[in-house]
Amino acid sequence: MKALEVKNLSAFYGKIQVLWDVSFEVEEGEFVTIIGANGAGKTTLLKSISGLISNKKGTVTAFGKSIEQLSAAKIVRSHIGHVPEGRQLFHLMTVLENLESGADYLPHAKREAAKTKAYVYSLFPRLKEREKQLAGTLSGGERQMLAIGRALMTKPKLLLVDEPSLGLAPALTKTVFQALKTINQEGVTIVLVEQNVLQSLKAAQRAYVLENGEVVKSAEASSLLNDPEIQAAYLAI
Amino acid sequence: MKLRMNLVLLALAAVLLFFLPDLLKLFFDKASVSYLSLLINATSLAILALSWDILARTGQLSLAHAAFFGAGAYSTAILVKQTDVSLWLGLPLAALSAVLLALLLGSVTLQLRGIYFAIATLSFAEVLKAVIQKLPSSLAGGAAGINVEPLFRPQFIAGEMERWEIAFLRNESYFLLYAGLLLATIVLSLLIESSSLSYAFSAIRTNEEVAAVMGVKAARFKLLAFVLSSMPVGILGAIQAHRIGSVSPDETFNVGTTVLALVTPIFGGLYTSLGPILGALGLASIEEFLRRTFSEGYLIGYGIVLVLSILFMPKGIMGLLRSLRKAQRESL
Repeated sequence: MKALEVKNLSAFYGKIQVLWDVSFEVEEGEFVTIIGANGAGKTTLLKSISGLISNKKGTVTAFGKSIEQLSAAKIVRSHIGHVPEGRQLFHLMTVLENLESGADYLPHAKREAAKTKAYVYSLFPRLKEREKQLAGTLSGGERQMLAIGRALMTKPKLLLVDEPSLGLAPALTKTVFQALKTINQEGVTIVLVEQNVLQSLKAAQRAYVLENGEVVKSAEASSLLNDPEIQAAYLAI
Repeated sequence: MKLRMNLVLLALAAVLLFFLPDLLKLFFDKASVSYLSLLINATSLAILALSWDILARTGQLSLAHAAFFGAGAYSTAILVKQTDVSLWLGLPLAALSAVLLALLLGSVTLQLRGIYFAIATLSFAEVLKAVIQKLPSSLAGGAAGINVEPLFRPQFIAGEMERWEIAFLRNESYFLLYAGLLLATIVLSLLIESSSLSYAFSAIRTNEEVAAVMGVKAARFKLLAFVLSSMPVGILGAIQAHRIGSVSPDETFNVGTTVLALVTPIFGGLYTSLGPILGALGLASIEEFLRRTFSEGYLIGYGIVLVLSILFMPKGIMGLLRSLRKAQRESL
């Protein structure tokens, strides 16, 4: 079954059209990345899928269920997690409280909260060490781990990840991408949106290239790494 | 665990509040009347402030609390005037009308944020006031208002009690009623704090988008906060109407109520149960002290105190206490 099927999706901010007939698919268990420059519409695309933007046309189907009409709160209940751009943590809450908040409003997630929390801690031992600390006191990398952890607490089968490398040192970016790979290997389908083209092509299996709100290319991630056009435009080789 | 400890503390406070009037009488004799009225002011301010804070926890900074207060006061006044039912039925009716009003206001302002929300809520009390003035005066009293019977008629024998003792008796009953309502509001606030509502409220306040992708149905929680916040204020309005003895558009829908509802929690410390209560105690005492010391023009002094407190303790009394405790821990 397809985890996600987006067909002819257009999205608008007021009268301004940001996405133009975007179509792409993700198989269950896949790790797909959508790359593109600043302003290409990557964040808008994820927000349209997770229901944060309602001004849109086209269809979005997740695990065989049509979700484009649903509110964001309903879409999480269809097992779609969203790690928003810029982490968006609750800075005055502790690490533990941030994690718990991910499961608190979803009955199916709440039942397994203790188990998921243990899993998140095994993935990011640093978070366990800082359990009682306020989220606002974490380093950039730890914040990203927490943002991913919080999204995992919602028990997603499909995880949408927005620009996790933002503001991170290269070494930390690698750690975070490695964690995403592990999460994927354990059965969670991942759609990663990134400006850091090199790292995301290395982590993902397939990739789509988004330019000015349109999908201009799609291929195996490894073949895009060797594509001269991509190299020239995004990899500065 | 923390909730249980707080409830035990609250039970102790309840016992203390119950005997407080007698203690005052014992120690201050004649002066106890004015202390009791100070306590009544502080308690009613605390109810208003804590209720306002409950709504503010969802990021909705309301300027509508005079509307809830007035709705409670007027629905009781009209009930008492038009029917012969028990006076006490006015209290649940006041709660109900405040809640209905909150649902209406809450649902039309759901999409508004920040200053736009505040302005929309501010206009609400004014609209309600205008409606009351325009209603037939046989129903709502028009601009002159309605007289409201007192809830308590203390038994006394003429000549055997001094005038201050009679005043004390009447105020004592009201004080116990206010104290009961305050305790109920505190329990409500503590329950919210210890339940998963507190996460939802602060998630919505911090970032409604993130709250949505965590599965928080923001609209529902925002309306719930409106309902919970309006209920005690509606009842407060009803009790006040009985105690003052009348309602009128200008007195009952007073902008002052709206302003105090937000100034007090800011002075005490936002988004906590204790902050608004400390704020109410502090502001009521400061006001009383200034009035006795300066009489005319004491409000200038009151204004200066508020300005200084915003400058030097922007997080209110709670913020001050937190930083003192931190300094103490670091010096150890």
